Amino acid sequence: MAPNDYAVRLDGVTKSFGKHTAVDHLDLDVPQGSIYGLLGPNGSGKTTTIRMIMGILHPDVGSVGMFGGDLDEVRRTRVGYLPEERGLYKKMKVVDILTFLGELRGVPRGDGRARAQRWLDRLGLGEWASSKVEDLSKGMQQKVQFIGTVLHEPRMLILDEPFSGLDPINQDVLEEIVMEFHERGTTILFSTHLMDQAERLCQSVCLIARARKVLDGDLKEIKRRERKGVLAVRFEGDDGWLRGPEVISMEQVADSTHLLLGEGADHQAILRRGVAAGVAIHRFELVEPRLHEIFVRHAGAEAASADGGLPARANGQGGAS
Amino acid sequence: MRGVWAVIRREYLERVRSKWFILGTVGGPILLIGLMVLPILVAGRSESASRRVVVVDRTGVLYEAVRENLEQGGYELERAERTDDDALARYVAQATEGDIGGVLLLDDSSLERGRARYSARERPSPVRGLTLRGAVTQAALEVRLGADDPGVEALLAGGELDVNVLDSEGAGFDDPRFMITYVGTFLLYMVILFYAVAVMRSTLEEKTSRIVEVVISSIRPWHLMLGKILGVGAVGLTQVAAWIGMGVLTGALGLPALMAARPELSQLGELRDILPGAGYVALFAVFFVGGYFLYAAIYAAVGAMVNTEQEAQQIQMPIIFLLVTPLMFITEVIRDPGSTLSTVMSLVPFFSPLLMFARASTGSAPAWQVALSLVLVFATVVAVAWVAGRIYKVGILMAGKRPTLPELWRWVRES
Repeated sequence: MAPNDYAVRLDGVTKSFGKHTAVDHLDLDVPQGSIYGLLGPNGSGKTTTIRMIMGILHPDVGSVGMFGGDLDEVRRTRVGYLPEERGLYKKMKVVDILTFLGELRGVPRGDGRARAQRWLDRLGLGEWASSKVEDLSKGMQQKVQFIGTVLHEPRMLILDEPFSGLDPINQDVLEEIVMEFHERGTTILFSTHLMDQAERLCQSVCLIARARKVLDGDLKEIKRRERKGVLAVRFEGDDGWLRGPEVISMEQVADSTHLLLGEGADHQAILRRGVAAGVAIHRFELVEPRLHEIFVRHAGAEAASADGGLPARANGQGGAS
Repeated sequence: MRGVWAVIRREYLERVRSKWFILGTVGGPILLIGLMVLPILVAGRSESASRRVVVVDRTGVLYEAVRENLEQGGYELERAERTDDDALARYVAQATEGDIGGVLLLDDSSLERGRARYSARERPSPVRGLTLRGAVTQAALEVRLGADDPGVEALLAGGELDVNVLDSEGAGFDDPRFMITYVGTFLLYMVILFYAVAVMRSTLEEKTSRIVEVVISSIRPWHLMLGKILGVGAVGLTQVAAWIGMGVLTGALGLPALMAARPELSQLGELRDILPGAGYVALFAVFFVGGYFLYAAIYAAVGAMVNTEQEAQQIQMPIIFLLVTPLMFITEVIRDPGSTLSTVMSLVPFFSPLLMFARASTGSAPAWQVALSLVLVFATVVAVAWVAGRIYKVGILMAGKRPTLPELWRWVRES
């Protein structure tokens, strides 16, 4: 792809906070118009990466490019950014705060006010336009926050853990808005530690663990490549035959046991062990791996262990994540 | 710059529209003026129907002098034809009925000690009491010192002191407006502190509410800080301008109207002489801007460093100390504005806004010193803003514990 087919490109980016390296030599290409997932457990460096893309933090080494050029203020105002830590001015009127957020990204005040009202109407908050933010419920404030993110019709949405902390109804609302923007050609880049969600939404992903990239690329492509990695078995009897050097880990998925196999593992050897042990095997099949399994296979169970719906990490020195 | 404007407008409008601002700007002075004027008005009104005073002059020489003094104060005087006890009792009875306002008895003790007796249905207000007493003592002095000597009257009026300042270029200074300088300096202190702290609060609010991350993803932290300081400062200037406007209005319209309605309050006219002039107002504005920028930048950095109001309280102690120090020297500086101590202290940029204002507004600082202090203040503003901007940039995204001094230094160096 030509360089300007990328919405975001990171080239050898490293960022440290004191002795702690938050992002280590990260290369990243986010194709224009894609839905791109930045995946990793809490504390793996997702938020730091996103903050560097938004120009809030600056890499120690390496460069960040956007829309085929340098990361400058003008390009950044074409992004709708929803940070992980969200908030609004509590004492401001809803429509005023939205107008202000639009104005920061170059939307004229009158225009911004009209757009804000349209969005508020659409999300059922039309009557609340002149209310103060503090008088709104938490869920309503979340909606106002999305509107603030998309009010200026961005070319790209960058969402940091967008679904965490949302009530189920607002998760659906946000997903609907995001998919609508995607259909209009807007690039979507979001981070999450929830693999299942990423698997459902993303076209491309980048898996990171402990500040380093584990693997990245088109999700379908990755899955095809990883096809030999997961073995689903169903059997009766003792499970001792499953333990062997080829098997990284085991997990019960529905009625089968999923075995995560190491690189170049010989699954026929496992089958031979089963036959020798005399267990009754009902299912023995290589299956398309889930994203989580791919992650564990490449990063190791330990690196991926923070994964799995933990609450948001404590925000430590430097807000490194 | 577009973003800076948006920030300025938000800070300005959100504040100016708040009821606290309106209350403080309009309500405060009105309340203050009201508290001063209302008792005078009320006291005057209750007596207005009874301005007619009968003077029983047993000395035979005081009446004319007393009449002159009291008629200036708005009284209508009548000389009692007879001065014996019967007549006096009759007049007192009339006063008791309310037919006349009061009876003023002058006798030998009036001439000797300035003592007189005033009989009226109600106790005269302090202002009126003072007017009556002053009229009698002045009349007694005039008579005893020889009323035909025109010099006596001037002496009695309190004399004059022509101050000739030889040491400094502020030679035009003629009246001792120390009071107004005191008041102005304290007001300056309060306004600078109030609005600088407002910048800190605003920074802290953005930080704790987490909105700051969205804002600085669109504009530079430095622009956010600049917009915030300018926006809040504009609110401060608006408030000061409103106060000055109300002061001018009171001086130009309110005071003459009041005096026309209550001639006995003519002493209030002297207030006009000590009301600040245009030069004073300009000095106030310039030193407010300088002092405000200086302290607002520091307070912005403090707001970015901390996470709670309590932490902010602790960390701002040394800054308040910087701002309070000049107040401890203010008496010394006003008493002896030309001393080495006064000169040096008023040239220290962190003290200049208050101390140089005090010296300049009494006209005792040479123009070059005022100019130098302003240059120093604004140079310091640039330096402080540079450091504060760097702390702000790093601090505003920080959560967790407050930075130590070495950490702060690293922020400044590395960002």
